[in-house]
Amino acid sequence: MRAFGYTPVRDPAEAVRVARQTPGAAFIAGGTDLLNLMRDGAQRHEHLVDISGLDLASITDSASGLRVGGLARMRQVAEHRSVRERFPVLAEALEASASPQVRNMATIGGNLLQRTRCGYFRDAASACNKRVPGSGCPALEGWNRGHAVLGGSEHCIATHPSDLAVALLALDAVVHLLGPDGPRQVPVGGFHLRPGQAPHVDTVLRPAELITAIEVPRRAAAVRSRYLKLRDRATFEFAVVSIAAVLELRGGRVRDVRLAFGGIATTPWRSPEAEAVLRGEPLTVAAIERAGRVLVRDAVPRPHNGFKVELVQRALVELLSGLGGLR
Amino acid sequence: MNVELVGRPVARVDGRAKVTGAARYPADDPVPGALHGFLVTSTVARGEVVRIDPSQALAHPGVVAVYTHADLPRLTVPTFPYIKGFIPLQGTAVHHAGQPVAIVLATTLEQAREAANLVRVDYRAEPPTASMDDATEPPHLPLPFRGRPNEITRGDAAAAWEAAEVRVEARYSSPTRHHNPIEPHATTAQWEGDRLTVHETAQGVNLTRSVLSTAFGLPPDRIRVLAPFLGGGFGAKGPVWPHTILTVAAARLAGRPVRLVLTRAQMFTLTGHRAEFRQHLRIGATRQGKLTALVETTTAQLSRTEESIFNESDSSSTLYDCPNVHVRQEGVPPDLASSSYMRSPETTAHFGLETALDELAWQVGVDPVELRKLNHTAVDQETGSPIAGKRLLDCYRIAAEAFGWSRRAPRPGATQDGDEHVGWGMATEAHTFAAAPADPPVTASVTVGADGRAVVRIATQDIGTGTYTVIGQVVADAMGVPLDAVTAVIGDSALPYAGVSAGSATIASVTGPVDRAARAARDAVVALAVADPRSPLAGVPADEVVTAHGHLFHVRDRARRDSYRAVVGRHGAPVETTGSLRNTPGHSYGAVFVEVRVHARLGSVRVTRVVTAHDMGRVMNRRTARGQVLGGVTWGIGHALMEHTVHDRHTARVVNANLSGYLVPVCADAPAVESHFVDHPDPASTALGARGFGETPITGVPAAIGNAVYHATGRRVRDLPITRDKLL
Ligand SMILES: Cc1cc2nc3c(=O)[nH]c(=O)nc-3n(C[C@H](O)[C@H](O)[C@H](O)COP(=O)(O)OP(=O)(O)OC[C@H]3O[C@@H](n4cnc5c(N)ncnc54)[C@H](O)[C@@H]3O)c2cc1C
Ligand code: SF4
Repeated sequence: MRAFGYTPVRDPAEAVRVARQTPGAAFIAGGTDLLNLMRDGAQRHEHLVDISGLDLASITDSASGLRVGGLARMRQVAEHRSVRERFPVLAEALEASASPQVRNMATIGGNLLQRTRCGYFRDAASACNKRVPGSGCPALEGWNRGHAVLGGSEHCIATHPSDLAVALLALDAVVHLLGPDGPRQVPVGGFHLRPGQAPHVDTVLRPAELITAIEVPRRAAAVRSRYLKLRDRATFEFAVVSIAAVLELRGGRVRDVRLAFGGIATTPWRSPEAEAVLRGEPLTVAAIERAGRVLVRDAVPRPHNGFKVELVQRALVELLSGLGGLR
Repeated sequence: MNVELVGRPVARVDGRAKVTGAARYPADDPVPGALHGFLVTSTVARGEVVRIDPSQALAHPGVVAVYTHADLPRLTVPTFPYIKGFIPLQGTAVHHAGQPVAIVLATTLEQAREAANLVRVDYRAEPPTASMDDATEPPHLPLPFRGRPNEITRGDAAAAWEAAEVRVEARYSSPTRHHNPIEPHATTAQWEGDRLTVHETAQGVNLTRSVLSTAFGLPPDRIRVLAPFLGGGFGAKGPVWPHTILTVAAARLAGRPVRLVLTRAQMFTLTGHRAEFRQHLRIGATRQGKLTALVETTTAQLSRTEESIFNESDSSSTLYDCPNVHVRQEGVPPDLASSSYMRSPETTAHFGLETALDELAWQVGVDPVELRKLNHTAVDQETGSPIAGKRLLDCYRIAAEAFGWSRRAPRPGATQDGDEHVGWGMATEAHTFAAAPADPPVTASVTVGADGRAVVRIATQDIGTGTYTVIGQVVADAMGVPLDAVTAVIGDSALPYAGVSAGSATIASVTGPVDRAARAARDAVVALAVADPRSPLAGVPADEVVTAHGHLFHVRDRARRDSYRAVVGRHGAPVETTGSLRNTPGHSYGAVFVEVRVHARLGSVRVTRVVTAHDMGRVMNRRTARGQVLGGVTWGIGHALMEHTVHDRHTARVVNANLSGYLVPVCADAPAVESHFVDHPDPASTALGARGFGETPITGVPAAIGNAVYHATGRRVRDLPITRDKLL
């Protein structure tokens, strides 16, 4: 790890200004991902702008929805009463993330911006298009058990590891940003980018842009929402497959359903086609299975991750039949 | 009289020091003037170093030196327990990714680490072979290792297999796994003239000393190795590894002490691992399930420089009564780092054997426990002589009863609870423990001071298992003093000789000499008392004196009493005695029963209940013994369900060289464990009735889990770990 400069900042405008003016600067919030990447030599920054002291950690609940400050800690959000009561999927996704120690440190903004767990990305001596553009993607021919079956390109098939983002996607949340050109808003669904030709660009975030808040629109149906996370050990591990679902039933029929998936795609993944299969239909296992088949229609399995195609369909049956009271 | 401490669940005497941070581990104490070392390791797995340019690194602030093969003196490559076959920085050849090619010394660790990134190394790289599957050469039979042949033949196994009434043939496999003790390997080397002091994360201070003595051509008495505490070893700190030798060499070149701590990633290439393993088993039996033939061929990953096989097949050749046995342990060398011993080296091959027996049990329709009883042997399969004190049958009985095995569903897949299939499985546990080398014999000294306290000194180690505590219990009992009047001084090669804490050898080799030395100290103090006219015990025959609570009493007249403190105080000088004893290797046994729940739709496996019973002769300390069972069971769950190291097929680099990518069980994966002990002294023991035990629990756990998964689902997974993709 190289010596680096360090500036703690007190207000968001200052944060943006310092970050813009300082070459090689990055924000540091909880540091739970950034410092590991720097230590492993996977990422280098000449300067860190410490935003952990910014007054952007509050959570407010109003008629229009929930607003979570970009620097709210994962634990704080998971424990918030409104979150637990009105958006259980969000609390469940957070509680299924990392460990209590990490959740005490880690922030919401940092969570959306955490980088992939692909082993080649985190090994500074390996080739990796995401870390060193143009160096190649060893995962395509190498170890890809944890990799994406949807949304990949011939340049990268890494998954985005955030559980929170998957839940926020099912809730149609909006990311609030503040940059050198002022504030703007981006729907969570448009925030993360598929690798395409440029896997080194994870999100639409611009240089020196700050995540100030996440807004989750109020939706009565979100009370009936759930997060299912499957992983290789009981806790403290990233998803092999995860699903966030919001389900609204009326008279046994699906009035509305929102499904977001983690672990199977290069970004938090929404499948409008799969949702359309269910919408307006009676909720049955057969209907869920049809939706699952539509979800994975374009899947590109690799030598080690093919099981995810089957697993995510089963997980969808498991989650929706539970949420819809079919069992 | 004293209530005996040996056998009781005495709390660790060093527990408080450990949880408060007072215990000083080998890398904890600052050494004045010490530089920090950091290794530059090869990014390629095969080829040659063509050029090393240290100029940028040398220009980095704080950097004192960068040493390469051009700088290091030629050293002598030690043999076992140096496992590697070569010392890095002695030439330009690269044998595996992660091999050290240079060492950087700097004032701070951060400077050394950053400078290591700045050392430019050019390679002539060749495409490596990263897995046994890709090896072009066929597996071969390596030469015997440590006197053990890799081929064992008894009777005519091939013919007996052909003629068998019932046959099971299957292939089992296990991936590479790493020890991953929580404490990383660390060396601090300090030269004073031609005397060397090394603070080392060592399971064997004398072992480290002998390896350094060979490498540097230095008489052992000029070398002192210190390891007062260890944050886990599991075999990874038994052998001596290159970083230790390189640190010592660098300290000599620099003329300053050097400290080097490996990173977690470096521990995936520099400190050994459990080799990737394949096992082809053919078992012949009668229709009742009595074994008639066992033919086993195993293939283990070797390396380009080291031919030893550590995944031993002891269980196949010795655990059950079988007249016709043929075991062949073969190997293939890819371009990977050398493997080594890892807690319970039998575990990999044991998994196949205990799974195959389960397959046989289902095939012949015999209960798996009954099948094992039917094939139980009371005699050594190799020599035919009786095995003294073996109580494995008791283990089956105790654990089966406690588990409720008799209520087991008779068919696989028969029990469902909600969304989960429930299954029960069992396996035998067995481990061969080692003896300390016979020469010199293991020796302890005990010194009783004028304060009446006893200090026991011996060059053994506490690798986290409880040596400090058990030694204290033994001395307290032998002398009749309270536990807190005993201080154990260990982990220093300058102390009376003891062997390595590996192969479950510590208790078995150390407690005998400690007991002797303590009894001699007691006798010496009693002799002083009865000969001293000032003592109330003056003139009493020595054999009529008893000791308890730090006092000496007349056996019939308790009012006549003296104390250790008073006797040694009047004597005016400390009383010092020694005790020596040799021990022999042997076996410990057990039975493990587990319940698993497998999610019918999602394939998730949970281990929900574990019951064990073990026979290791006398139990010295129930609490530390149970600690070994908990650790072994938890690790066994890791083995069965998640642990595996991944090598990239093209580069032969480790893809998951960290604890985020290499999964070990967390608390939520570990169920309650009910542990039982037969606790019957072994008449052949030289260790107060105890045998070596530590590595025994774990050996059967992976198979027991796999067998339970089969019972739950009807699915037999023969390739570890049993991840959900194999159950969908
Ligand atoms: C052991 C471990 C296990 C984990 N398991 C999980 C898991 O199961 N599920 C899961 O979802 N996550 C998991 N995580 C990831 C964890 O949630 C993230 O590391 C954490 O949320 C990052 O937040 P932080 O505040 O620490 O970010 P930092 O590490 O400080 O920053 C991360 C990145 O975000 C940028 N950044 C941070 N805040 C802002 C902001 N407000 N505006 C603009 N840029 C910003 C930083 O510049 C940096 O690039 C795990 C992490 C660890 C270490
Ligand atoms: S999958 Fe993406 S992150 Fe992983 S090695 Fe390929 S390019 Fe790098």
